[in-house]
Amino acid sequence: MAEQQVPVLELRGITKRFPGVLANDHIDFDLQRGEVHALLGENGAGKSTLMNVVYGLYHPDEGEIAINGKPVKMSSPREAIDHGIGMVHQHFMLIPVMTVAENVVLASEPRKGGVFLDYDAAISRVRDLAATFKFAIQPDARVENITVGQQQRVEILKALYRGADILILDEPTAVLTPQEADELFGILKTLQREGMSIIFISHKLREVLEIADRVTVLRRGKKIETVSSEGATREGLARLMVGREVLLRVQKTAGEPEQPLLVVEDLTVVDERGLPAVRDVSLTVRSGEIVGIAGVDGNGQSELIDALTGLRRVTSGKVVVGGRDVTMRSAHDHYDAGLGHIPEDRHLRGLVLDFTLAENLALHDFEKQPFARLGWLRPGRMIAWARRLLQEFDVRGGGPRTRAAALSGGNQQKVVVAREVARDPRALIAAQPTRGLDVGAIEFVHRRLVEERDDGRAVLLISLELDEILSLSDRILVIYEGQIVAEYGPDVTEEELGIAMTGGQVEQAAAS
Amino acid sequence: MSVASVAERATVRFDVAKAAGIVAIALGALAFWVTLPPLTVRTQAVPITLGLAGIASGLWSWRHGHVRLGWTGVMIAFLGIIVGLFAMQAAVGNLEVVITWSALTAATLRFATPLIFAAIGGLFSERSGVVNIGLEGMMLMGAFFGIYGADVTDSWWLGILIGMGAGAALAFVHAVFSIHLRADQIVSGTAINFLALGLTGYLFIDLYGTEGTGEVPAVPDVHLDFLGRIPPEGLGNFLERAFGQLNLMIWLALLTVVLAYIVIFRTTLGLRIRSVGEHPRAADTVGISVYGVRYLAVTTSGALAALGGVYLSIGFVHSFTENMTAGRGFIALAALIFGKWRPFGVLGAALLFGFASAVAPRLENVESWATYGTLFQTLPYLLTLIAVAGLIGRSIPPAAIGRPYEKQ
Amino acid sequence: MSEQQATPPPELPEEPAPSMAARFALYQRAGGIITPVLTALLAFIIGGLVVLVTTGKNPLSTYRAIFDGTGLNWFFPWVRGQERMLAAEDLQQTLLVTTTLILVGIAVAFAFRCGLFNIGGQGQYIAGMIVGSQVGVWMPDLAHVPHMILAAGAGALAGAIWGGIAGILKATVGAHEVISTIMLNWIALWIGSYLVGFEGPLQDPAQVFVPVTEEVSQGAKLNVFWGEALAQGLHIGFFVAIAALIVFWLVLNRTTLGYEVRAVGFNAEAARYGGISVGRNYFLAMAISGAFAGLAGSVDILGWLFRVDLTSVQISSQIAFMGIAVALLGRNTPLGIFFSALLFGALLNGTSTRNLDPAVFQPELAGNLTLIIQGLVVLFVGADLLILYLWRARTKLRRKTAQAVTQS
Repeated sequence: MAEQQVPVLELRGITKRFPGVLANDHIDFDLQRGEVHALLGENGAGKSTLMNVVYGLYHPDEGEIAINGKPVKMSSPREAIDHGIGMVHQHFMLIPVMTVAENVVLASEPRKGGVFLDYDAAISRVRDLAATFKFAIQPDARVENITVGQQQRVEILKALYRGADILILDEPTAVLTPQEADELFGILKTLQREGMSIIFISHKLREVLEIADRVTVLRRGKKIETVSSEGATREGLARLMVGREVLLRVQKTAGEPEQPLLVVEDLTVVDERGLPAVRDVSLTVRSGEIVGIAGVDGNGQSELIDALTGLRRVTSGKVVVGGRDVTMRSAHDHYDAGLGHIPEDRHLRGLVLDFTLAENLALHDFEKQPFARLGWLRPGRMIAWARRLLQEFDVRGGGPRTRAAALSGGNQQKVVVAREVARDPRALIAAQPTRGLDVGAIEFVHRRLVEERDDGRAVLLISLELDEILSLSDRILVIYEGQIVAEYGPDVTEEELGIAMTGGQVEQAAAS
Repeated sequence: MSVASVAERATVRFDVAKAAGIVAIALGALAFWVTLPPLTVRTQAVPITLGLAGIASGLWSWRHGHVRLGWTGVMIAFLGIIVGLFAMQAAVGNLEVVITWSALTAATLRFATPLIFAAIGGLFSERSGVVNIGLEGMMLMGAFFGIYGADVTDSWWLGILIGMGAGAALAFVHAVFSIHLRADQIVSGTAINFLALGLTGYLFIDLYGTEGTGEVPAVPDVHLDFLGRIPPEGLGNFLERAFGQLNLMIWLALLTVVLAYIVIFRTTLGLRIRSVGEHPRAADTVGISVYGVRYLAVTTSGALAALGGVYLSIGFVHSFTENMTAGRGFIALAALIFGKWRPFGVLGAALLFGFASAVAPRLENVESWATYGTLFQTLPYLLTLIAVAGLIGRSIPPAAIGRPYEKQ
Repeated sequence: MSEQQATPPPELPEEPAPSMAARFALYQRAGGIITPVLTALLAFIIGGLVVLVTTGKNPLSTYRAIFDGTGLNWFFPWVRGQERMLAAEDLQQTLLVTTTLILVGIAVAFAFRCGLFNIGGQGQYIAGMIVGSQVGVWMPDLAHVPHMILAAGAGALAGAIWGGIAGILKATVGAHEVISTIMLNWIALWIGSYLVGFEGPLQDPAQVFVPVTEEVSQGAKLNVFWGEALAQGLHIGFFVAIAALIVFWLVLNRTTLGYEVRAVGFNAEAARYGGISVGRNYFLAMAISGAFAGLAGSVDILGWLFRVDLTSVQISSQIAFMGIAVALLGRNTPLGIFFSALLFGALLNGTSTRNLDPAVFQPELAGNLTLIIQGLVVLFVGADLLILYLWRARTKLRRKTAQAVTQS
């Protein structure tokens, strides 16, 4: 436990503004030597921003940073690294086409003759470093060929190689299975023993209680409180995070599934490299049920979704929507057959940000009546339709003629959901529907999905958040390396899911 | 099945089928080559057999996973038969007018040199993530300021330096607009081309009026007479005529390719350039100056592209005319893509395009084809179009290319 | 429900780079009319500096001399009598060029809206010229109106095909349209040179010593509505251009095709997700774009060139490149294109040998000066930040003055 000594890192009154948003509002924070300190808050609370300020990626508008009691100015990551701070970002800062060794030594490379890269030295140094901290890693493997868990370890190695004694991890378990998360915690404990001080950013209450010594809660850019993890409860932390009572599970009655509206038979899909990403997948979703697919990122979910929605060619197998075989048809035909698709990335796919809300809401049907006739658009109809939907779904921030980019993330997602649901689809595919949203928006989306289920639609939910899957699904399938390897009812435990998500072989989990 | 074993399987499949595809291309080229001097085979069976073997090999490659490579092999083998048979119809005399391998080799190198310089320049820029459509303009700057500089200082090597400087200056403008002001890089590059065209034209008319540049010191040729003495005599003659009288800048170009390879793949600077081009934010987080590296790379690309122009004006044609680069900057860009952003790949592509440019005027010398003379001028551009459309349609550039980088 | 949240950029994975169309949309909102005016002004100022530095002449008097030739003073009601007549003639010439520039500007703008950069206007223009002139030559007994429409339409179709090639290449193999259209430019240039050259297939049999095509039949020529036909007054092609602007707006904003094109231009991935065929739209956008450029070519032939010769193919076609500056300065909107076409038309006419007094400024130099100004315009337009910065500086200045006023 930390005594009252000089904190190894201290933040006083840090304030950071972005256009239209106060991301950090006079935040005070301190990190004691050798502790694991969690930074907790919902999506958009300002946690990543604060740490980016510490790492020199952002310049604070106000406030001070002190390392071991001495005030410092962090004007670039280089300086942060010099002060012993290492950061493992949520979205890895690794170069996929380069090897592990190249990524680790980048910008502090061992040299031969002044200008030449001493690659052999790089390899051996990385190997030695990994051995010291008991990682298993292949220094000359290309980053794009190793698993996500291993990539994360490369990120940690990067920090260690540069002599970090403060390590910041931003949502590190977002991409890991429960087993890999446990391994990570083991590594963190080892590091802590070696004297490292660790800041752990998360929005997951369970983990925070498991790994942290102290927890600081942020909400809407302000620091709410710092508590010791001893004696803290999930409910208590949730209340601090959100400011009110939070339902940790969605209220729903048991569903009554009827006829199958989405049937997939022996689906095989090949990816860009010619390797099968989805292998002989069969599943059925009936009207009135929510089927959730759980899995670690990169096990074929994206390819599966693309194939089911007509955005990718099917190598073999069948996809039937509402009784119509749409296997070889275009995305357009899928929508006409009664499919709805809430895509996993609303900026990349779900919305055309430069279109107005009215234009976005008509994206699937713009060439049909009433929006157009014989190739001629009728903007008046589009606007009327949009006005109705925006009101029904309580979308704030603009009207039918507002550009989609002007809305906040939560409202944008509401527009996407509104569009898909209002078309009255038979089957609805929701891919990561709550990514990057705050709790209020998440609640809205979850409630809406349950409503659609109750109205008799078939809902297929694909998500990386186990909480979401467990909370919403009537049946849970697990995908691993392109195959459905398990099926469970809604009362399965996270541990069981985690094992299935890694192929059901415990030895593999321990060895990797 | 782990990721590693799947990757292994793919590798095994990869090698054999890929080799078959390459063999197909080689057989197709061979089918054509045997009908030309010096072999001038006249039995139809020979090219047909070679070509059919090539088609078979290509088909095999196609069936075993290499669709694009296999299909290209089949196409080239098929074309090889057709062109070979066609060539057999031509009188041997005509063929000999067109195909003198030694002269062709030398001409290929001459036409390829400006492309090599510009493409290697483009390589540096694009490897750091900045698209450089302005290679044409930078080349033109080099062409004009090279000859102007040589004229004013009465020295060819000062002319080279001045030309390089002019190209670098223009590239710097492109860099400022693309990097700091985050302009669309293609639009900025196009603007650079207009600027260069206007500026060089303006200055040329202003300074030289209608008489042209007159006598200007030229970059010397390198005489390698010893090549002619290498036995056997046929080989010696060939080597001497092909390589014995080449301009200094041609050798410089080849050296540049080697240097580029070493810098990009063997030095720490090259590692950093590549990292900035693949994932600038990752490079930023480890403390590399993304802007700094990009400025360096883009300015260098301007200097190198200018060298291509300098060669044109004081190494090859020995004069300057408005817009004398005639689209070569863009062909260089195609060579860069064709060569997959690797120095030796780029060299190969540039040689190919240079070959097309070398053959075109020779085809005009054939009497029966004289009227079509102008049409032959389209050859290099047509080949570039096919290259861009065909084999390498989807080659993978550096991941972050074309996107301006925003620091917070 | 919480609304405003802290969403600084790296919360979601890297956003897709804004497409060209998206960046220009940003422009339109951020700048309104002021920024294009500012951009043009800045370009002219720098152009003037070039004049000052290189020739020592007063840039203002140079610009004045250029302005005198444009005929724009016809719009000033105080200009009367002889001066007014001269101005009218000059204005007719200016509007003649403006007609062409509007059409090539629309071509570039339409492609930009789909996220594509059509630099191939030159090739498409050549195609339109040649096909338009041939259809104009054939069927000399066809009635006037149908003949005009047929010839102009054929030219547009030829341009559409030439542009469509690049579109297909982009849609199927992902070939970058910048390279493919530039290659197609040169290919068209040389094919065109072959066709109209000495003893080429389209050679006018009545003029054996001059490489030129036959004159189009009287029935196909466009009527002149202002000025003397013999002195080359303004023909109805001007109205064709205005109509084209309206068609441009209607297609983009009121048809389903336009919706698709815009969606693909702003975010191709989202469009694909929405069920829109991206490849089909790439093809259509390039084809329609090419049609406008081809129309420009045939309108010029039927309106005042009446014959195609080597100069038209190789030199006059370069006007198509100005379409890029016209479209960019005009922010890809119909009204903007009209005014920037007028601006550049005036510039071209005012600097032509006919109008510019060589004592004040050499016309050949002036041609290159126009190129420089064009390049500067394109350069500045490509830099969002510069414009935004100027805009914000202006608003900040306004606010400061307002504050100062309220404080005092």
